[in-house]
Amino acid sequence: MPFESFFYFLGEAFKSLYRNRWLSIASVGVVAITLLMLGTFMAVNFNINHMAETVKNQVEITVQIDDSAGVEERNQLRQMLVAHNSITEVRFVSREEALNRLKEQLPPGSLDGYENPEDNPLPDSFEIRTSVPEEVIPVAKEIEGYPAVEKVLYGEGTVENLFKTTTALKIIGIVLMALLAVTAVFLISHTIRLTVLLRRREIMIMKYVGATNSFIRWPFLLEGLFLGLAGAVLPLLVLYYSYGAALQWVDAANLAFLSLIPLSTIMLQLFKYLVPLGTGLGVLGSIFSMGRFLKV
Amino acid sequence: MVETAGLYQRYDNNSDYVLKNINLTINRGEFVFIVGASGAGKSTLLKLMIREIAPTSGTIKVFGQDLKRIPARRIPYLRRNIGIVFQDFRLLEERTAYDNIAFALRVTGTPWWEIRRRVPRVLEMVGLKDKERCRVCDLSGGEQQRVGIARAIVNRPAMIIADEPTGNLDPDTSLEVMNILRDINIQGTTIVVATHDQEIVDRFQKRVIYLEKGRLVSDEKKGAYIRAL
Repeated sequence: MPFESFFYFLGEAFKSLYRNRWLSIASVGVVAITLLMLGTFMAVNFNINHMAETVKNQVEITVQIDDSAGVEERNQLRQMLVAHNSITEVRFVSREEALNRLKEQLPPGSLDGYENPEDNPLPDSFEIRTSVPEEVIPVAKEIEGYPAVEKVLYGEGTVENLFKTTTALKIIGIVLMALLAVTAVFLISHTIRLTVLLRRREIMIMKYVGATNSFIRWPFLLEGLFLGLAGAVLPLLVLYYSYGAALQWVDAANLAFLSLIPLSTIMLQLFKYLVPLGTGLGVLGSIFSMGRFLKV
Repeated sequence: MVETAGLYQRYDNNSDYVLKNINLTINRGEFVFIVGASGAGKSTLLKLMIREIAPTSGTIKVFGQDLKRIPARRIPYLRRNIGIVFQDFRLLEERTAYDNIAFALRVTGTPWWEIRRRVPRVLEMVGLKDKERCRVCDLSGGEQQRVGIARAIVNRPAMIIADEPTGNLDPDTSLEVMNILRDINIQGTTIVVATHDQEIVDRFQKRVIYLEKGRLVSDEKKGAYIRAL
């Protein structure tokens, strides 16, 4: 396409958007509302996944050391844990530190009578984290066989349930998002199709006066692109302000444990999905809708 | 300019032929009426000439090009050499007379300065010099058809094909429109008009091709509607 033709097509696209302004507004409206629904759901779903991941990442293994184990055995255990491929963090917790932590968690006076180090029933331990939370279970089972290990604790039962729940949430989220995306594709492509359909007379006249197919296609394609882009930018703006407000509300209501995704991160994610979806559907919708009118 | 041999046309395999064994030649500079009752095949013949449809069998050549074999990408260039006038005008009603004509030039890649020079000239030719900025929907039927003719001639085509150009007009306006087409013909452009306006055909004394149920039943050099019948 020559350079000057591009500007002609661009001009034609804008003129035609203006000439058919009510139709353009209606199309942008449908695209925007559809993508707003999808974007809102995506923001909620991303946050649910984010919270689930945060909880999962807090899962760790406590390896209690056998009291009778000597220094050499303890060092050997430490070296084996550090060398393990799936383990990213190994921290030694002495029995004194463990008792102090317990004191902080329990009501004052609950541990009266355990002040003497010799009465401390807690063992020394290693607290370890795995690179992937799901590896906690197999790694814990493996460590049980290591030397100087008395007991391996990882919240057996609870962790399995947590993983099952987060996986289920993820699958439900993906399925619902896919359904909503299909609805968006259907709605947007039909709206664009309608804008082309209502202008079939114009296309037909262009064909009769000898316009080539590419000459007819370009302005419509650019129009589809602009309609899709406008329809994607509007919900992004709405989501930007409403998500910002939600973050502020969570902050003000002392609900920090909700650990929501920061505004810039979520907007980048939504931009990555909504803009290509809007513009892509605008362009493809135009191309496919024009097909049969170009056969005259 | 137009040459057909053993031309048959039907719209699908189960229907009857709309055109049967049409053999005719239209030469450069001719003025030809194609007459016949509704359903005789007049419009189908014109559609074949502008390659809106491809022939079922036989050949049709326009400007020497076999329209059965013409590649799809060449069709727009064929049409730039043919001006088409419709019974229902087929104009962009919300746009001005100027825009409608300029539109035909723009789609063929004519530069803007040439468009500015040519559009007022063709509007003057069809007697609409003062209606340049009027929206088409505000013009009368006769004026709209004149815009249609101006659009058809602005690309300086070698041939104009008009399908019932007076079908929506009163007798006086019809005559005006036909006079414009005759003037264009005098300047050398071939004109092919499909019509069942008997008065017009009789008055102009031009070549008349008569179609009946898809067959060419008469072809007279200086014919009249009645004689054709």
